[in-house]
Amino acid sequence: MRGLDRSDIVISGVGVTSSIGQGKAAFISALLEGRHRFDVMRRPGRQRPPHSGSSLEDIAKSEHAPCFLGAEILELSVPESIPATMLRTASFSGQVAIATLHQAWEDAGLDKVAPERIGLVVGGSNFQQRELIQGHDAYRGREQFLRPTYGMSFMDSDLCGLCTEAFGIRGFAYTVGGASASGQLAVIEAIHSVESGRVDVCIAIGALMDLSYWECQGLRSLGAMGSDRYANEPALACRPFDRDRDGFIFGESCGVVVIEKQQSARRLERSPYALLSGWAIAMDANRNPNPCVEGEVAAIKAALERGKLSPSDIDYINPHGTGSAIGDVTELQSIRQCGLGHAQLNVTKSIIGHGLSAAGTVEMIAVLLQMKEGKLHPTRNLENPIEPSFNWTGSHAIFHTMENALNLSMGFGGINTAVCLQRCS
Amino acid sequence: MSKEQILEVIVRHVREAIPRLADHPFQPSDSLKALGANSVDRADIIMMTLESLSLNIPLIEMAKAENIGDLASVIHART
Repeated sequence: MRGLDRSDIVISGVGVTSSIGQGKAAFISALLEGRHRFDVMRRPGRQRPPHSGSSLEDIAKSEHAPCFLGAEILELSVPESIPATMLRTASFSGQVAIATLHQAWEDAGLDKVAPERIGLVVGGSNFQQRELIQGHDAYRGREQFLRPTYGMSFMDSDLCGLCTEAFGIRGFAYTVGGASASGQLAVIEAIHSVESGRVDVCIAIGALMDLSYWECQGLRSLGAMGSDRYANEPALACRPFDRDRDGFIFGESCGVVVIEKQQSARRLERSPYALLSGWAIAMDANRNPNPCVEGEVAAIKAALERGKLSPSDIDYINPHGTGSAIGDVTELQSIRQCGLGHAQLNVTKSIIGHGLSAAGTVEMIAVLLQMKEGKLHPTRNLENPIEPSFNWTGSHAIFHTMENALNLSMGFGGINTAVCLQRCS
Repeated sequence: MSKEQILEVIVRHVREAIPRLADHPFQPSDSLKALGANSVDRADIIMMTLESLSLNIPLIEMAKAENIGDLASVIHART
């Protein structure tokens, strides 16, 4: 590891779609203001029947178990250049991916790159669940009329087909799954493909995880998803690292980053967003959802080592911070054990919720945009931090110049990923 | 249901699957392939038509239809 040269891999373009806005300008503006859209989820298929798609008033009158809370995308704008025939058969995850990739494509000027030299890695697995359940419910008992397109669109790799066709990508495309670390795993895979020279440019997508009420129920039963405590106060439910947290709150999002070498990015008339200085993956050798200090520390230390960075070089950490009872405590222990207790912290999930497969990519974009602005967004609902001694960014945005940031993701099944981002001068 | 009525159902679903054909003056001699429907679009259009008509016919029987008029004839023969 020590023998490796300094990285010359950069992020040259970004695209983001979330509950607080579509596009990087809307996203960073809402983040810095701490604007959120947490509520009872209303997208059809997100609440247990018969309340799926019901009005908020009907749901409130229900005597059923508490409804699932989250932050949903209100309106999606898809570029006119995308054929309507393609959108007709694309899942919601697919439509959001295309719209978000379009932003990143334009941002990085990818029309000027040979299509054979562009690769695509889609982060996430089983991310079209709500769409599939909706199809099952619509055709149960008359299965012979199921739309033939279901036979190809049920596979996550349909996103690879959709995106490569829509943008003419001809290098390679595949999906990678790492639960809630999928988005960051996609970035790391994309880095490897550029570093090895397999392609000149690689796009990493953190796909929108489209949960159905079945996954919500499973995640609630597992104790991972909140909120019983704030069932009637959705705005208060998402509170990572706060003493009153009771689990993660879902948030729809999708992030796209464009990765290439510095030399290749010179076609742009501006600096790249950041240098990807270090990265690492470490497993806990544990199938279960519980986190592990040992694995998290291993990932952080390996990423710092790859970046030839000492802990004191890191001046900002964007943690995984889901709001889970054990996960948040474990993550802070890991950060402290790595000698990073001095770094400034804020939690993007407190504003947009947990995007699961998308989280690692979307939060990386949050890091890049904050780095560019020289400001850190607030952390919502952090009224009583479980560890007050850390340098938390509280209820208001602050000015903070960042040279080196650390971005963390962890997922069920014992996966830990860490990425170091260095400001490009 | 008459063959003409079946043709109207087919045309409705072609327009649904391929929105840019909203103003196309459809003729029975129109080929779905020539209109720009790929194989998946064509399968979807036929299935949507069968669903609208509540007809359970194996898709393989439609394979010989060369245009939407033929398609209407094949379906009409099974009603």
